[in-house]
Amino acid sequence: MIWRSIGAAAAVAACILTGAGSAGSEELVRIASPYKTTTLDPSRSAAAGNIETFGQLYARLLRRDQNGELAPGLAESWEISDDGKTVTLTLRDAKFSDGSPITAEDVVFSLLRVRDHPESAYPAPLQQLAEAKAKDEKTVVLTLEHPFAPFLGNLEVFNAGIVSKTDVEARGEEEAFASDPVTSGPYQVREWRPNDRLVLEASPNYWREGYPKNDGAELIEVGSENTRVAMMLSGEVDAAREIPWSQVSDLQTREGLEMPLEPSTVIYMTLLNEGRAPFDDVRVRQAAAHAIDVKAVAKAMTFGHAEPANTTLPGALDFHHSEYPGIAYDPAKAKALLEESDYDGEDIVILISDIADIDKLAVLLQAQWAAVGLKAKIEKVDRGVWWERIPNGDYDAAPSWWYNETMDPDLAARWALCGTCGNRSFYTNYDDPKVNELIEAAAAEFDPEKRTALYHEIQEITTTEVSQIPLYYPPFTNAYSARVEGLQMTPALQWTLEETEVVE
Amino acid sequence: MSDEPAAFASMSRKVPFEIALGAAILAAWVILAIGAPVFAGADPNAIDLLAILQPPSLNHPFGTDHLGRDVFARVVFGARIDVWMGVAGVLPPLVIGVTVGLFSGYFGGLLDTVMMRLVDITVAFPFFILVIAIVGMLGPGLGNYFIALALVAWVSYARLIRAEVVVLKNAEYIQAARALGYHPLYIVLRHVLPNAISPIVVYAMSDAVLVILAGASLGFLGLGAQPPTAEWGVMIADGQPYVIDAWWICFFPGLAAVTLGLGFLLVSDGLAHALKVTS
Amino acid sequence: MSRLSVIGQRLLHLIPVLIGISVISFLLVKLSPGDPIRMLLGDRATEEAVSMVRERYGLDRPLLEQYLVYIGNLLQGDLGRSIRYRLPVGELILDFLPRTLFLVLYVMCLSVPATVLLAIAAARNQGGWIDQSIRVLSVCGMTIPVFWLAVMLSRFFGVELGWFPVSGYGETFIEHLHHLFLPAVSTAVWLVPLLVRNLRAAILEQMEADYVTASRSKGLPEGYIFRRHIFLNSVLPTLHLLGVMVAFLIGSSVVVEIVYAVPGLGALMISSVIGRDYYVVQGLTLVYALGTVLVTLTVDVISTLVDPRVKL
Repeated sequence: MIWRSIGAAAAVAACILTGAGSAGSEELVRIASPYKTTTLDPSRSAAAGNIETFGQLYARLLRRDQNGELAPGLAESWEISDDGKTVTLTLRDAKFSDGSPITAEDVVFSLLRVRDHPESAYPAPLQQLAEAKAKDEKTVVLTLEHPFAPFLGNLEVFNAGIVSKTDVEARGEEEAFASDPVTSGPYQVREWRPNDRLVLEASPNYWREGYPKNDGAELIEVGSENTRVAMMLSGEVDAAREIPWSQVSDLQTREGLEMPLEPSTVIYMTLLNEGRAPFDDVRVRQAAAHAIDVKAVAKAMTFGHAEPANTTLPGALDFHHSEYPGIAYDPAKAKALLEESDYDGEDIVILISDIADIDKLAVLLQAQWAAVGLKAKIEKVDRGVWWERIPNGDYDAAPSWWYNETMDPDLAARWALCGTCGNRSFYTNYDDPKVNELIEAAAAEFDPEKRTALYHEIQEITTTEVSQIPLYYPPFTNAYSARVEGLQMTPALQWTLEETEVVE
Repeated sequence: MSDEPAAFASMSRKVPFEIALGAAILAAWVILAIGAPVFAGADPNAIDLLAILQPPSLNHPFGTDHLGRDVFARVVFGARIDVWMGVAGVLPPLVIGVTVGLFSGYFGGLLDTVMMRLVDITVAFPFFILVIAIVGMLGPGLGNYFIALALVAWVSYARLIRAEVVVLKNAEYIQAARALGYHPLYIVLRHVLPNAISPIVVYAMSDAVLVILAGASLGFLGLGAQPPTAEWGVMIADGQPYVIDAWWICFFPGLAAVTLGLGFLLVSDGLAHALKVTS
Repeated sequence: MSRLSVIGQRLLHLIPVLIGISVISFLLVKLSPGDPIRMLLGDRATEEAVSMVRERYGLDRPLLEQYLVYIGNLLQGDLGRSIRYRLPVGELILDFLPRTLFLVLYVMCLSVPATVLLAIAAARNQGGWIDQSIRVLSVCGMTIPVFWLAVMLSRFFGVELGWFPVSGYGETFIEHLHHLFLPAVSTAVWLVPLLVRNLRAAILEQMEADYVTASRSKGLPEGYIFRRHIFLNSVLPTLHLLGVMVAFLIGSSVVVEIVYAVPGLGALMISSVIGRDYYVVQGLTLVYALGTVLVTLTVDVISTLVDPRVKL
């Protein structure tokens, strides 16, 4: 009976409402993503979701063109002094969303805010900036502590976006970024409904003539992967992030949908806590690495869509050592190493949180380690607890993923492999003085060939010493509808929204 | 209705059958759970990456999951945890709730006021917060899930039985018993409880099903069974990304939960009737 | 005592309940492990920034002091600010509340008539094929994982047939009905069996009660006895269960909210718990508590109307 009445109600509702879902005359690009926007202040978060938003709201001095090369952004041109320590940038005539001009003062204010503000989440990209000065309205002079090759690239990072000094000082930091910030990028905020969606509309004053090529965008937070797929299939959104691997092949065959699997700077790996036994012993780490069949893991996790990882750095980065053979799958060697090590046979703790697919990865690691005699138990906790235990070193192994926000490996190396850069190599406590030195040397080196050699050496050392166990390099599993053209995600997690046209 | 007596007669014949069928299903699951290593025919945690997401076949009657593990073996081993969950997740709250509801409903007064405020506080608590906090303080795992359940779920029982008792205590035979000077405890246990218990039994059996399913939704917060333990709820949650392409990963543990639920519910119906007859 | 003054008294009882809830929720949330700031600032945030923000929210001060500050603000009607969004908690909750209320009411509108019809049909045909098929269907309804059913309904009615949207809430009343239909049905599918079983058991119990036999022997028509006595008397326990369930739904419609991307209280609660957004969690708990107590009160008042023997 209930079914009949539901069926009847459904039919009636469907009759009444046919066509009710069609959009108005405005052409918004609708994107479903599991990641949240939690703040509109570019200095205050480096979490996924926020960085996608910042990129749309705040223009940087430089930008990446369609080939991924650095191109002029708010800065029309720039000059680097012979000693490599002074960068002079000339700004173009550009305006904020409220119509006021973008001046050198705004640039200095924005950059120093990221570097110095006590609540700045991620000052690392501007750490080498010694001094920033506005020479005149349109000229910015940046002085560095020492010559630093990745610097121009770092000026393109999401939190180096330019904000309005006048507005922030007039309204105060809280108010200025609360709901309707003055923006320098292609979009401004129309409506922000936290925990639900962010609606963007084209900024009337964006410096690129004719851009954005749409009226605006809707960034919708959708936590469930099946829902994102359903929304794509029913045409409720034009793009969706993180389609489950198992559904990629199916979606690729659907008409009106595209799944280009764009390259990313994401790397899946497992952290090993080198601050305590047993992974303080390099032989145990090597045993753990040799025990893992990285090819099989990559295939099982991503249905063959990801490359197995061969070094400790993401495969899409510049200077990635692609010829390096990686750590061979060799259970016999793993057993031998384990026997000769101090490992006492106690269970190690694999600490995982609630991110997608990570259970599966943990179970795979556990099984392969068990096969060589390394016993592990899995502890699954929620993300808040995970982030409390990892910095405190309360784990042995922790499979997870990370990405880099530029193509230059400098920030990645400082984040993941450097023992003296503030976070003890992603809280693994890995600390090799040679590697720390090489990271500085590579950053100060301007000759691409020499830099290549230095980064290759870093990858060789850290991979051999197993600072982390690299597992695979997944592409983005974004789905796009044929309704839009020109939308993609750059390897550093930025949408090319301004280039996107609604064609249907 | 003219056929009333006949219907009544056929009913009394059906009661034992219902209980028997329900009990048989439950017994079957208990036997499967105890004899899991014998019946499973495979190691529930054995990974085979060359045979992932295989549909049901002779080799793998329920197919294989995303790690090539035998779903049949996992369902059978999962029974060990889920059958236990149906009991351990329901009994403590039932005992607590019935005790509280019975006495506070019968005696009323200050006891009732305090108890009902406690009920109000507990019922007003969002379940997940309480569970996360308790498990957070005690550590993850199923045991702590049961403790959290006991602290929260007793409320439904207390309210259900109190609603019955409040009506019953004014019934003539109860008043008569009071007038005859029977000890209140005797009246409560001998007369009130048997007459008030049937909605509780009915609810408890459906509650068992809900407990098993809620355990599953806790899995994603890392508060249920820890991987790689085979547990139906976690299996269903793990199968979520594959629900379209590999239906069997979710379907068979789901089916197992349905049959176990059917067992509980059949026994519940039968018992409800039997209790009524004896009272 | 008049009914009104009893209701007034019940509302007074609310005060100790709310205080109890605020203390316990505060302690539970604060004592549960987990670092909110790191998730907020991102993986690569510096230790300095993390400790600055912690200080800013007073998260480094003694627990009692934090609680007193919280209560002080609360008494002035200030629920605090979200740690994640830096927005007033009250505003955030008011934004999400209507969607969940709409959903819960919608579920009720679908569930209550269905429950009454099915339970009566089952009880009056006890043991017959109608009763048996209702029983089998209700077992399935209760045991089918909600998320699975929700995904299947959204794939079939949303994607394949295109009758209903698979996400969102819409702008107008009609759109709400359209958008929330599948979520409401997905919820009703497990709620209705629960209520039907309860009501059916109660009806059967009443059908064999002495007074019913007596009425029958007096020759009263069966339909009259059923409407006048059996049904009214059976409805009480189910009403209480319904009350509990409505309260439960307000906080726990989370699964359907997530599967259908409906931004409601359940989704806000889960994401705030996971994100350790303390003040939002506390604010939600209080709002939720208030709602529950009001629902309970309503159920109790209705009970006295249905059955005068029940006292408030």
